[in-house]
Amino acid sequence: MILSKYHTLYTFLFLSYYLVMENLPIELNQIIIFLGLASVAGLVIYNFRLNKRSNPLSEDQQKSYELIHNAIKKSQAILGSAELEGIKVAAETKFETAKLEKAYQSKLEEVLKQSEEKITQAQNQLLQFMAGLQERSQDFEASGQKAIHDRINQLFERLEERMGEFLISAESKTTSSLELELKSTRQLIETYKSQQLKLIDENILAMMEQTLNLVLAKKLSLKDQLDLIYEALEKAKIEKFIV
Amino acid sequence: MNNLLNTILKDTSSTNLLKHRLRILKTNLLKTFFGSQTEELSLCAEDLNWLKSLPLSLYQQFNKDNVYQIFSDLETEIAKLKILTIYLTFEPDEITLGQIGAFARKTFDPELLLDIKLNPNLIAGTALVWKGIYKDYSLHAKIEEKKPEILEGFKKFLR
Repeated sequence: MILSKYHTLYTFLFLSYYLVMENLPIELNQIIIFLGLASVAGLVIYNFRLNKRSNPLSEDQQKSYELIHNAIKKSQAILGSAELEGIKVAAETKFETAKLEKAYQSKLEEVLKQSEEKITQAQNQLLQFMAGLQERSQDFEASGQKAIHDRINQLFERLEERMGEFLISAESKTTSSLELELKSTRQLIETYKSQQLKLIDENILAMMEQTLNLVLAKKLSLKDQLDLIYEALEKAKIEKFIV
Repeated sequence: MNNLLNTILKDTSSTNLLKHRLRILKTNLLKTFFGSQTEELSLCAEDLNWLKSLPLSLYQQFNKDNVYQIFSDLETEIAKLKILTIYLTFEPDEITLGQIGAFARKTFDPELLLDIKLNPNLIAGTALVWKGIYKDYSLHAKIEEKKPEILEGFKKFLR
């Protein structure tokens, strides 16, 4: 009895496992189903023999054994058809898989080919673009060099022009400055000369006056002095200096 | 008052001499009116002669009461007189000064007073100042006038 219960539990667990693992591949499921049914059949046979050995067969038992026998037959038939079905399914699966693989392979090859073509195209475009870029860069460099060259030439021309102007201006300024300096120096010499001559003239007069003063102080008589004073007073009257 | 001033000015032609003579006259009169008999004035012969030369009528105009007033009036009148400043090259004595003064009064104005100043740089002759204006009539001025000609002569000599 205990053993019977144990086998029932085992069967239940086994079926549960099958239900849980329904996502497993078809072939494996079929194997499991087959093993499950085989174990159920084994258990039934074991119980039948055990009961047959211990007790003589009754009518009911006979019926039940028949039923079981039929069930086993049916189960074997089911198993057979299931096995066939499983083989068929496995074959179909294998065929479909192969077909799918082939399709996948061809698709992949196509995709790879397209990708390769696109990559090649992109590479060509990139190379073309780079060549264009290089050409443009060369053009730009050439134009830049030309512009720099032109600019330098222009600068040199302007510098030359300015230098010429500056030199002419400096020469003119120097000449005029020298002329002015010369003029100023000549003027200074003339001024100095005239001042010196004036000084000499004044000195001559001063010497003469001093000499006259010394001489006349001794030689001029009082009468002569008075005559000169009278003369001066008369002259002042004539000039109407004293009114 | 004019008679008194004219008498004093008669032989007094310069301002310095006029002030000096007024001072000695005043001193003499004050001594006469207010001084002691024993007090003597220390005057030079020329001053004494001048005091003696003054007429008696002049002295008779003064008395104790009016002496100060008359001198005060005289100073006021003198301040109104015309003064001719005359620069001389020598220091004249009183006689020479009198001669010059007499000539100037004869030439210009009988009441003219001379302010005598000394300037030997004039060499000879005189320079005058009338109403603040200076005019040089000396030999120095004549030399200045003839300066170019004189220098020309000298330059010829130097060559």
